Amino acid sequence: MGGLWRPAWRGVAFCGWRWIHPGSPTRAAERVEPFLRPEWSGTGGAERGLRWLGTWKRCSLRVRHPALQPPRRPKSSNPFTRAQEEERRRQNKTTLTYVAAVAVGMLGASYAAVPLYRLYCQTTGLGGSAVAGHASDKIENMVPVKDRIIKISFNADVHASLQWNFRPQQTEIYVVPGETALAFYRAKNPTDKPVIGISTYNIVPFEAGQYFNKIQCFCFEEQRLNPQEEVDMPVFFYIDPEFAEDPRMIKVDLITLSYTFFEAKEGHKLPVPGYN
Amino acid sequence: MSTAMNFGTKSFQPRPPDKGSFPLDHLGECKSFKEKFMKCLHNNNFENALCRNESKEYLECRMERKLMLQEPLEKLGFGDLTSGKSEAKK
Repeated sequence: MGGLWRPAWRGVAFCGWRWIHPGSPTRAAERVEPFLRPEWSGTGGAERGLRWLGTWKRCSLRVRHPALQPPRRPKSSNPFTRAQEEERRRQNKTTLTYVAAVAVGMLGASYAAVPLYRLYCQTTGLGGSAVAGHASDKIENMVPVKDRIIKISFNADVHASLQWNFRPQQTEIYVVPGETALAFYRAKNPTDKPVIGISTYNIVPFEAGQYFNKIQCFCFEEQRLNPQEEVDMPVFFYIDPEFAEDPRMIKVDLITLSYTFFEAKEGHKLPVPGYN
Repeated sequence: MSTAMNFGTKSFQPRPPDKGSFPLDHLGECKSFKEKFMKCLHNNNFENALCRNESKEYLECRMERKLMLQEPLEKLGFGDLTSGKSEAKK
């Protein structure tokens, strides 16, 4: 009997209490496990013989008055081929249901792939902008590519509401990939009140940004300057040696590092990139 | 944080620094080392390779004054400078 159950999930939730045929041997199982009920579009399976009793009612999601249903006219009058036709029709319907379900599932999976991939990138740390292997072992073992000299130029900006004097202490510096370098900015608070600033940076050209690794700097954390105080702000960075092997970077000889300071107000959250 | 709103282009994603943020040198304890480094850069036409000793000394000053976490210099990319020193000591 088990092999003849053909569950069609559409009708599962509603099939339970529509059966009115009493005393059938299958009823007990269906009362206990309503989700095992198949949707009977006509006859089928072992119930074929019971069709003659004529007390089956069709189970369907929508409540349809039997009189309003368009009568399904089987093509043949021979009762045996009619049964076969009904069977085939039911099989076709089941197949169509499955195919439709698979199609909808595919569509849903393609939509779900976007956040799932993002989650995967977050957990494993791989992805477009993150270069695998940021460990300090990498710095230890990296070999400078001495024949590729890159000029790094520095830029400093402040937001209009922040009254600091913020500028780089060198306009440019020449480095090679694989070599750690130090650069300085200077910030002065000319006002009479302590001011807290927070900064972010930008790299031009954008594609070179993935090779620009900062070991330590002063960005993304609140920096407090007392009145009339002037401090040196260092940036310790290196360019990844793989920069020299990237074909897109062949023409890149100038990288501009640009820092911008904003004022950090109480309760004001800047869109810092996941840095805590 | 680029403002180029082109569909499909990758925008720049700023990344946090590997070892975090430098504490501010409010008291200017390492200012002399910084001045030495800047002077070296000016003299050498801003070539970083020639001034690595001075940058190493600046970072060592920071580490001594607790303005930076102690790290072996090899991990900061100064392996060639420290090995040269240890060889000279021999």
